[in-house]
Amino acid sequence: MHVIHGTWIPDDAHEFIESGAFYLWVETDTPPGTSRRSADGVHPRHLAHTALATFLMEKLGLQEPVPGALARTLCIKYFLLPTAAGKPSPSFELLRYVDEEEPIEFDLAPWQVYCFQVPDIITTLNDIHFIALNAAEDFQLGADLLFWHQYSQALKSIIAKDQYIPALKYRAISSTPPKGKRAKNISSFELHPAWELLSDTYETAIQRYVAAMPGVCTAGLNSPDGAALFGKESLLRHFSECLLHNVVTGTPFTAKFDQQIAGTLLYGCVYPYRPAPPQASADALEDYKHWLAWRANLTRAHTEAGFTLCFRLEEAPSTDVDNWQLHFFVAARHDPSLRLSLDAYWHLKPKDRIEAARPFGQDFEKNLLLALGYAARIYPTVWDGMATDHPTGCRLTLEEAFAFLKESAWVLGDAGYTVIVPAWWTPEGRRRTKVRLKTALRSPKGAAAAGPGYLSLNTIIAYEYQLSVGGQLVTEEEWQQLVNAKTPLVQFRGQWMELDRDKMQQLLQFWQTHQDEVPEITLLELLKIGTEAEDDLEWDHDQNLQDMLSRLHDKNAFAPIENPPALQGTLRDYQKRGVAWLQYLENLGLNPCLADDMGLGKTLEVIARLLKEREEADGVRPTLVIAPTSVLGNWRKEIERFAPQLRTLVHQGSTRLKDRQIFAETYQTHDVVLTSFALARLDEKLLQSMEWHRVVVDEAQNIKNPQAAQTRAILKLAAPHRLALTGTPVENRLRDLWSIFNFLNPGYLGKEAQFRKAFEVPINKDNNMAKSATLKKLVEPFILRRVKTDKRIIDDLPDKIEQKMYCTLTPEQASLYEAVVKDVTEQLNEAEGIQRKGLILSTLLRLKQICNHPAQFLQDGSAFTAERSHKLQRLGEMLEEVIDSGESALIFTQFTEIGGSLERYLEHSWHYNTYYLHGGTNVARRDRMVAEFQDPETEPSLFILSLRAGGVGLNLTKANHVFHYDRWWNPAVEDQATDRAFRIGQRKNVFVHKFVAMGTMEERIDAMIEDKKRLSSLVVGADESWLTELDNDTFKDLIALRRSAVLE
Amino acid sequence: MAQFSRTWWGQRFIAALEEFTDPARLGRGRSYASGGRILEYTLAKGTVTARVRGSINPYFGVYKEPIYRTTITIKAISSADWTKAIRQIASRADLVTKLLMNEMPDTIEDAFSGLGLHLLPHSERDFVTDCSCPDYANPCKHIAGVCYLLASALDHDPFLMFELRGLSRDDLHTELARSPLGQILASALVSTEVPVEPVESYYTRPIREPAAVVASHKEFWTGAKRPPAPLAAASQASVPALLIKKQGDYPPFWHKDVSFISVMEELYDRIRTKNRQMK
Repeated sequence: MHVIHGTWIPDDAHEFIESGAFYLWVETDTPPGTSRRSADGVHPRHLAHTALATFLMEKLGLQEPVPGALARTLCIKYFLLPTAAGKPSPSFELLRYVDEEEPIEFDLAPWQVYCFQVPDIITTLNDIHFIALNAAEDFQLGADLLFWHQYSQALKSIIAKDQYIPALKYRAISSTPPKGKRAKNISSFELHPAWELLSDTYETAIQRYVAAMPGVCTAGLNSPDGAALFGKESLLRHFSECLLHNVVTGTPFTAKFDQQIAGTLLYGCVYPYRPAPPQASADALEDYKHWLAWRANLTRAHTEAGFTLCFRLEEAPSTDVDNWQLHFFVAARHDPSLRLSLDAYWHLKPKDRIEAARPFGQDFEKNLLLALGYAARIYPTVWDGMATDHPTGCRLTLEEAFAFLKESAWVLGDAGYTVIVPAWWTPEGRRRTKVRLKTALRSPKGAAAAGPGYLSLNTIIAYEYQLSVGGQLVTEEEWQQLVNAKTPLVQFRGQWMELDRDKMQQLLQFWQTHQDEVPEITLLELLKIGTEAEDDLEWDHDQNLQDMLSRLHDKNAFAPIENPPALQGTLRDYQKRGVAWLQYLENLGLNPCLADDMGLGKTLEVIARLLKEREEADGVRPTLVIAPTSVLGNWRKEIERFAPQLRTLVHQGSTRLKDRQIFAETYQTHDVVLTSFALARLDEKLLQSMEWHRVVVDEAQNIKNPQAAQTRAILKLAAPHRLALTGTPVENRLRDLWSIFNFLNPGYLGKEAQFRKAFEVPINKDNNMAKSATLKKLVEPFILRRVKTDKRIIDDLPDKIEQKMYCTLTPEQASLYEAVVKDVTEQLNEAEGIQRKGLILSTLLRLKQICNHPAQFLQDGSAFTAERSHKLQRLGEMLEEVIDSGESALIFTQFTEIGGSLERYLEHSWHYNTYYLHGGTNVARRDRMVAEFQDPETEPSLFILSLRAGGVGLNLTKANHVFHYDRWWNPAVEDQATDRAFRIGQRKNVFVHKFVAMGTMEERIDAMIEDKKRLSSLVVGADESWLTELDNDTFKDLIALRRSAVLE
Repeated sequence: MAQFSRTWWGQRFIAALEEFTDPARLGRGRSYASGGRILEYTLAKGTVTARVRGSINPYFGVYKEPIYRTTITIKAISSADWTKAIRQIASRADLVTKLLMNEMPDTIEDAFSGLGLHLLPHSERDFVTDCSCPDYANPCKHIAGVCYLLASALDHDPFLMFELRGLSRDDLHTELARSPLGQILASALVSTEVPVEPVESYYTRPIREPAAVVASHKEFWTGAKRPPAPLAAASQASVPALLIKKQGDYPPFWHKDVSFISVMEELYDRIRTKNRQMK
């Protein structure tokens, strides 16, 4: 892992003008050339010289004009870093990839680092951030670089709003006269042209970013001597001022412009490097004083008044169209809801005015006049309302009112005034002229007139063109009259509105040529066009279609289905609504993505859907479910439990049906076929040659790579219905989103390259909110994502939801397990008493280890990888969903060695922030870990606890997921552990996930406990010794491996 | 400085002068005004008295560089009329506000026309001038030169015109104090000298804090909080240079004839559109 750091380092020149530069460096867990002992004071974990140059070119795409040029520009800087035991501690990001503890006690010491000086800071940081967003497999941004990136973007938007002014800096120079002369200081001065950021937005940004600034941002040094950290605010201001200076002076100006500014203050501001001696004349001092007064007035206009001046436009009555009123009023700065109209103010008796003006600050009338005057400078019509001693507003003609709405209102708004316009002018209420598409659902060929829930698979919509204004149908004559109106603002059927005559003319021509056509589109096209061409088209849907579309956009309106009689259990209310939604979309020929939070029971909703469709029709073809190997067992288990009548074929392992003919015959006698992603590719030909009723892709983020053979194979599967399941917030990961839609509704989001250009780059790189809203609108009808915190969900859920997570054994685990069982079975017949008890307990222990991971049992230091244990694989997948949803989890295990391995695995392979608490952790460290984990500012994190260490006095309520990686065969102990998260103060529902290895003693002991719990006859002590009381045969049966439960 | 005044009221003052003055003398008057030949002028009781350095002119028998005494009096408005005029001004928010912003209101004459008067001179009859030079013509170039300087001074001090019409600053205050809006203006007229603001460094000096406390390893690397949520894409200013526009054009430190606001608009625009980092 590489972590890219960077910060602003001021030149340590100690001169009047002291600039700085931005330096980037890279920290790594695998420094090249570690064999050589690094020199004193050199940071041991950073990319030095050529390694850094290579990284910049290969990973960040930097170019160099000639080979070696980049390396030559690199320079050495120093950073004051936390140092313990003579080594700099790794950054917070790198910490999880190295075997080191976070130091509690440390000093700050300077470390030498190779740096790259960043040109064009704003753009370079934005580019690096964008690259890291998508390619962060082996590098990521440090919090420091992320901080600077975000701050530079905030600064950019301030500069883009012209919120800075030319300035003069007064430098006093006092010189002491030579000895002997009369002691009198001769004071002189220099005036330096400069730039100054001047706005409330800037000051707010400084305060907010200072509070969030990582210390390392202040740690850069030019030399290692006498060093200390920089103050955050002074450094941030220094950076901002230097950056503004660089932006202005880096802008090309024309010769004509230069001529215009020659000899003025601005020339020095724009060209500080064309040396003119600093101004020191009396005239210059005079100008400086003028400038000071000018700036004082600028700041006063912003901040001194205790109110904001507001304008409200009142529309003219239809009988007197030139009588629009612009009313003046003020709103208190500290409480904008406190308003006072000037009309009301002047009507008060003079002595009451003082009281009325109190909330609006000192010198109210003076500031009021000035505010009106400044506003009038921007919008001179205000003067018309001021030819009186009691200004209250002004009257506008129709034309003036239009100009006000069209432009001046925005300008005044930008200048800090509040402007209230009639509701019909707001974007939502804006009435527009559009060609209207009158649509009607068309029955598919040959289909009987069924109810609206049973349309064809490809719902066809016919439409015709109509002219419409403000949502109302108009005739060609009326339209023509409007086009001929003199003003763009007209009253039409009692309502004011704006007309764009050119556009109306075009629309008219379009309508004249197309009015007799009745084209057809599919529902999918309608959803696409409706969102993308919102501005020009208006729809008049017939009632059925209108209902359909409003249902698609308001998923809460779905009436829950009846609980399927065949289901062995009861669906929760939101699950019933989810099934209704699935059913509705599928009937419309749309392919949905069910993205409910993990733990809400997506599998069960799919099972219910399968039962429902079999209730309604006979001879439904089987559904193919493709899922990660690690969840196939769980699918089977859930189907067995809730819908045993669904005939399920597991297409997995070496014994699977490979012959096309046999498979074709067998699959027809089943309702569900379960297979893995790997086999979907391996048996591509076989699966593609079958006709499926539906293809379900579980954990759909697995098809995110459109080039992967696995994805391509799945895309080729033929089925009228497709369904994607995922627990991650899919709408936030744009590449995943596209891939999932490419599977569900190909073409809907365009080709990959189009999508990238139209949405991904604008949204992720330019932070384009409009694009983001369009995309959201496009995908919204297809995605149902309910989160645990939804009000409607919470009401349906108990506070604590327990779920078993069934996993199968890998072949390696299975063979180890069988070997142990065989060995024990022989010994058991001979063992007696204490020895027998010991044998039983040690057997259980060894089997548990195997179920956890082969490496734990073998203790041979072999790889702790997910391929060797489905349990581990599944844990990783589930944690991904937890973290992606912004939540935290606790993971319990009884084994210290598993705890350590898990910590490393989750940090290194998944890049998650992980804590591990075990018996050997000291109290101080424990308290710090807990405090950090609980801190709301800490990113979503994982906390691994050994069951015993985690048993006392811990409060970890930030977690709302609890995983029991292995089982303590004592429910009381497990419950106590679970309560770490489920405590007083917990406001979220807690999800408890207990892993069970299928076909093993874990499954059987679990079943025994459940049975006994049910019969309330469970007598257990504090440990697992009750298991030793089983007789030999029962015990043998308990531990025997059910081969059928093993997947290969 | 090519023009002596860039405000409409200063130019009105000059226009009145130019109407009754010989063009050649005007031209020389302009060079007197800009050439530093007007050594000083004072204004007392509505009369401007200036000392002007003349030139050697054997034709007039002047062999040594002379100093002339030049006086200009603008026809005064009686104090009774002033009371009425100020009452008019103080009853109109627009006039008070513009004066508050140090501008001569373009409708200022509304307050005088009812009295059969005007504030700004518009013909020869408004001027009474005298000069000790031997030139037979009145106004001479010295008088013209002083007028140009007055026009220039008017730009930054519209109240000078009141004074030239015989209303002293003290009387102005007294008259204004009679009405509520007038009081606001009167209070703002008390000018305070702006103290200079010396700085130690051109940019804010980054301060080293040797005693800075690093709360924890984690806070050192990641900060105490997450950075604020990024703002929406930088929306460009809908109208350029809004900030500086509130203070009006031609600020006192700007001596060019080209509009300060238009220059700043172009500057801001180029930075927004031509700078590599801002695109």
